[in-house]
Order: sequence, then C-alpha cells, then structure tokens
Amino acid sequence: MDNALTSSGMKKSFGRSLLYTLPMFLITFMFMTGGRPDFSRPASALAMVVTFLLVNILYFLMHYTGKTDKLRAILFIIFALSLSFTLINNMLETRNSMSFSQADILECKIPFCHLVIPMMILPAAFTNSIIFPGSIIGGFANIASMVVLWLVATLVLGRGFCSWGCFYGGWDDGFSRIRKKPAIKKISEIWKWMPFAVLIMVSLTAALSLIPTYCDWICPFKAVTEFEQVTSVESATKAVIFVSLFAGLVVVLPVLTRKRTQCSFLCPLGAINTVSNKVTPFTIKIDKKACTECFKCVEVCPLFALSTEGIKEGKVSVFCSKCGKCVDACSKNAIHFGIKGVPSGTMKNFSRNLFLFVSFLFMSVFSAGSIINSLQSLLNLIF
Amino acid sequence: MKKVKIIAGITWAFICLILIIILFPGLNSFSASAAKLPFMKINPNYSGGEVAQQLIATGCTLDIRKPVFDGLIKKRNKGFVQLDWRGNVPDKIVDTIDYDLDNKPDFCIFVDRDQSKTVLYPINSKVRDIIISTPTSYGWAVRVELIK
Amino acid sequence: MQKKELMTDSLILGLSSGSSCLVTCGMVMFPYLMAGSAGVKRIAIDLSLFLLTRLVIYFILATLAWYFGQALFSNQVVRNVVPGILYIVFAVMLVWYSISKNRNQECPAKIVKTVNNHRLVPIFLGIVNSLGFCPALFIILTKGATQGTLIQSYIAFLAFFIGSSIWFLPLPLAGKIRKKEVLKTIGILATGLAGIIFMIKGITNLIGGIING
Repeated sequence: MDNALTSSGMKKSFGRSLLYTLPMFLITFMFMTGGRPDFSRPASALAMVVTFLLVNILYFLMHYTGKTDKLRAILFIIFALSLSFTLINNMLETRNSMSFSQADILECKIPFCHLVIPMMILPAAFTNSIIFPGSIIGGFANIASMVVLWLVATLVLGRGFCSWGCFYGGWDDGFSRIRKKPAIKKISEIWKWMPFAVLIMVSLTAALSLIPTYCDWICPFKAVTEFEQVTSVESATKAVIFVSLFAGLVVVLPVLTRKRTQCSFLCPLGAINTVSNKVTPFTIKIDKKACTECFKCVEVCPLFALSTEGIKEGKVSVFCSKCGKCVDACSKNAIHFGIKGVPSGTMKNFSRNLFLFVSFLFMSVFSAGSIINSLQSLLNLIF
Repeated sequence: MKKVKIIAGITWAFICLILIIILFPGLNSFSASAAKLPFMKINPNYSGGEVAQQLIATGCTLDIRKPVFDGLIKKRNKGFVQLDWRGNVPDKIVDTIDYDLDNKPDFCIFVDRDQSKTVLYPINSKVRDIIISTPTSYGWAVRVELIK
Repeated sequence: MQKKELMTDSLILGLSSGSSCLVTCGMVMFPYLMAGSAGVKRIAIDLSLFLLTRLVIYFILATLAWYFGQALFSNQVVRNVVPGILYIVFAVMLVWYSISKNRNQECPAKIVKTVNNHRLVPIFLGIVNSLGFCPALFIILTKGATQGTLIQSYIAFLAFFIGSSIWFLPLPLAGKIRKKEVLKTIGILATGLAGIIFMIKGITNLIGGIING
C-alpha cells in the first residue's frame, strides 16, 4: 500500500499528525525543561515556550502537509541567526567586541566550531594535540562537546548534517530562497568538487603550520561570529578575504543562483560529510517506475547532488544533504526519503517518518539553546 | 539476501535513532570521556606549554613555562617561552628570567602596564624578540621568541 | 622568510604543480609507470628512478635560481617588490590554467615515447617532467632566487619536490582507480586554489615591500 503513494501521499490527517508529533513533543519538552519547567523568570519562560511551540508546530506541519524542506528551512535559518546572535551577544558581554584579542588566544578562550575539525585531524595524529586556542571541556562551545556532537550527527545523518545540524548552513540557505527564480542558471558541475580541493589545501597547510588555516584565512562566517583584530597588513588582508567570501558565497551568489554556494563550493567539512554519507542509513531514493524524468528535482537541488544522468540511472550523489527540496518538488512522489538496503519505491512513509524524527530531533534540541537565549535577550531588550 | 539487506538497513536506522535520543542527555559524559583521549589537549603553541618554574612574590606569582619549539613531526628551530604574571601584578614589572634552568640569567624584561610598553634585554644569544605582551584576565602575559 | 613558512608555501606549490602535471602527463606516463603487465619490483624501480631524476633536476634548478637571484635581486627595493609582482603574475597564470577550457592537453613527456632503451625511460620522463615549465615552477624559481642562503633555496625546492611527488605515488595503482575524472577535477581546482593563495601572498608581499621601501 505504501508503494502506491501519490504526490499527496505523505500528508496525514490532523489526528494522525498529532499522534506522530507526540513523541517529539515529549522528548523536546524533557530536553528543554529537564522535566521541570521554570516559570519564575517570565522572559526565560516565554522564550522557552515560544521555542518549544515553534519546534513542535513545525514538526506537526511536516506530517500534516507532507512537505519537508520549507518547514525545515524555517528552523534551520532561525538556528543560524540565533546562534550568530548568541555568539555575538556573548562576545560583546565578555569582551565588548566581536574581534578577539591576543589575550583571548593565549587564554584559549576562542569558541570552537565544527569547521575546525578537518584541520584538526592530521596535527592530532602527529602531535597528539589540538591546534586550536579553545577549551577542551567546560566553557562556551568547548572542543570535546562539539567533536562528539559532530561525530554522532555525521554518522547518523551523513551530509544531512549540512541541512539539519550545521548552524552556518542556514545563512546561505536563507539567502538562496530570496528570489523566486534564479538569475544565473548555468553553473559548471565541476565547482562542486572545490570543497575537496579546499579540504586538501587546508588540511596540509594546517598540519605544516600548526595553524587552523581555514579559520585563520578563509572562513566567511567570521563575518557573523568573531574575527581577529585588524592590526597589520596581514590581518587586514584576512578581513578583506572573509568579508568578500561572505558577501560573495553566502549572500550574492545564493540570491542569484538559488543554490547554497558556500556549502557547495567552499566548505571543507561538507567534503568530509559526503564521505560519511556512505555510512548513514538514511538516503534519498529514486523510484524509477514512478519517475517521469521531468528533472524538476535536479533544478531545485541546492547542493548539485542531482543530475539528469543520475536521475535516469536512479542515483543520487553523495553531495545530497537530505534537505527534502527535491522530494517536495516531485509531483509523482518518485523521489523520496529512504533507508539503505530497502528497495526504492517501497516503505516511503516509514522511511520518511523515521528520518524526520531523527533529523528534526537533532536539529530542534541542538538549536533550542541558542534560540531560547536569543529570544530571551530580545525580550530583555524590548521590555 | 534482499530481506537481510532490508533488515540490516532498518536495524542500523533504529540504532541511529537511539544514538540521537541518548546524544543530548549523555553529552556531558560523552564529552568528558572524549576529553580523556590522548590527543585531546591543546597544542603548546596555543596553551603556552607546561609551567616549569613558579616564582612567588608578595601578592604576585610569575609562571615561567617550558620553552615551546613544537612542530608537526620534529622540533622547530624557532620557538618561544611564555611568562605569566598572576594575582596582584605591579604596574611596572622588572624581572630577570632563567628559562633554561642553567642558573644563568637569559634575559631581563621590563613591562610598563600603564603605557602597554614592554622592553626585552637579551643576555643569552638564543633570546630574540617579544612576540606578544598583553594584559590577561589573570594579570599579564608575555611570549618571548627563542631560537634553538 | 621563516623556514616553516617557506616549506609550507613550497609544498603547496608542489602539490598544485603535481596535480596539473598529472592531469596533462598522466596519460603518457601510465603505460610506463603503471602496473600493467610489469611486476611490482619493476614499477618501484622505475618510479624511484623517475622521482630521483626529478629531485636532481630540482636541486640543479635551486642552485641556478639562487645564484641568478643573488645577481638580480641585490638591490633592496628590487628584492622587496619584484618577487611580489612575479608571484602575482605566475599566480594569475596558475589560476588561468585551472579555469581555462583550452588547457594544454599535450604533455611534454610525449617525446619520451621515441626513446627505445627501457631503462632510460623513467630518467627521461623525470627530466622532461621537472623541466615542464608551468606557473608553479616559475613561482618556486622566484622563491629560490629570493632566499637568503643556498640552503634555503634547496629547502624550498625539496618541499616543492615532495609536494609534487605525492601525486605520482599512486600512479602504479592508477589503472585501478575508477574515478579518474574526479581526481583530475580536484587536482585542477587545487591548482587554481594554490594560484589564489599565491596571488594573495604576492599582493601582501608587494604592499609590505612598498611600505618597507
């Protein structure tokens, strides 16, 4: 019965959708409140209630409407914005500035993020140490927690981490949705291999210099988090680079192409996540019997994971981040969430339900803290 | 075979579901375990290295760390020694440092905290220049460049 | 320039040079160095001879570049400014190479096909390959020419040799690699990226050189 789904086959009745939302409702309630909601501070309580409702309403709507991508993107974008807000707020409170000083480096106070991981591997193997001035455990954004979070997420979601867990991805995802139609349609496929070239370069340079070169020279998200004080020609050059990359790859190109260009053409962690995409049980499958080869999925894919040849062969590439955009675009429900080992075109609903629960739970719990923090700060500012 | 693949796939998917459910409640203990891994320590180029000597004066402590020459595979020719003044640090610091513990002074250092001015007087020819001299949350820190 | 920085830069250059060389020369070299019907021992000897020849050529180039550099860059202003300009020019060439659709597919090593003595083939390949003047080699020549000591010039070329040789090590297994096109693409992109890195370095050097007079 599951095999003969139509385009509206993922929709559920109001009652069934509620039923499917109930486990998420209970688990997110436990994670956000610890089982004991605290209403003693109104701003904090209101922020928590709003976040809790937002998360669960979005999840309910995913079941009720049968749509995935737009609802995922709402939380994903809010996550990116709120995390930058939380980070900046935290830095302004502790240092009065978005730039970090030499003292912050000496005291190993720089918040760690998952983008450092590709550069950590070789030095960790050779020197038995981490080449980052952060805190191993304890404190804000410590290294051990971020590594554990990323490891589990990439194992479970593969490159799905880039659409369901990465707190930077929401930036270019958001900008890629501004225009209804792309102004630039033709982009050479070869650029999608660029993250691998970046990965090779940054891994080697970081190993040789024992400096996380991607963070030091390239990372565009320094524009919305923290950056080195401009005190020399070199630090000024670095500032020009990261601001240009942010403007180009995170803002302008996504707007013009409707693609996530930073994730597709630069991010070295995305390259590693494509490898873990081979391990994760969750995947996107193409039901060749149902596919009419309209290639709408290829057109909408924000990460160049689909090609016309691939669709004809029923193959989705390792670049897929399981955002669900292609699934939503397919009127025949021929492209669908699946589980490895399970033949395409079968168990569509089961696979979607299981994947959505896992991925959305990760995103909602991971994002909850920063969303609550940002809302609380905003409420404190307003009132 | 087809059935085995289906069962294996679904089992792996359910294991992943469990992993995600236990990830957040167990994050603190998983992180604590991860932090115990042998490579989970900050490279001395960032941490400044281990404290080799501690000189205590009234209300102020000077930590002289081990010289750091760490490279990827072997020691580098250029490195640094980090000095940390902690506690009630005076406005003007004058100290003579023997970083290599040979009972001979290697350099003198003068720090005027108000003017943010640091002057190095090398005695040992291996002592080169000041890399960093900065106020910190615990007092003041200086990194002095060394050669092997 | 610090030894660490010198080695890092030269290694990156070597990596970029090696990838572009592999892209153009790979097809010609495969029959000679690839497994095929030959045994592992012969492949290892051929590959070692090939790499050793390249190393010797690079040391000769390092010596020549340094001596020419001493003569050409004796003036402080020239020493500060010219390398920056050369970096930028060669880096542009490197980027152009990676984005150009008319990338030269002809390998200079094709000449080796005319050599009959099998023992000499890897040596000829090494000579032709290391003298295949590409933008990355021009940059390393500039670097070698501007070093303070001959030893530093040797270090630069040695790191360049290591970086470029890494690409050749899997050659014997290349016949078994399924996704050659992907590796080729990543190699070309890495070349372009190295070009961008050196362009930025050139601009920073140039500004620094002008400021320092």
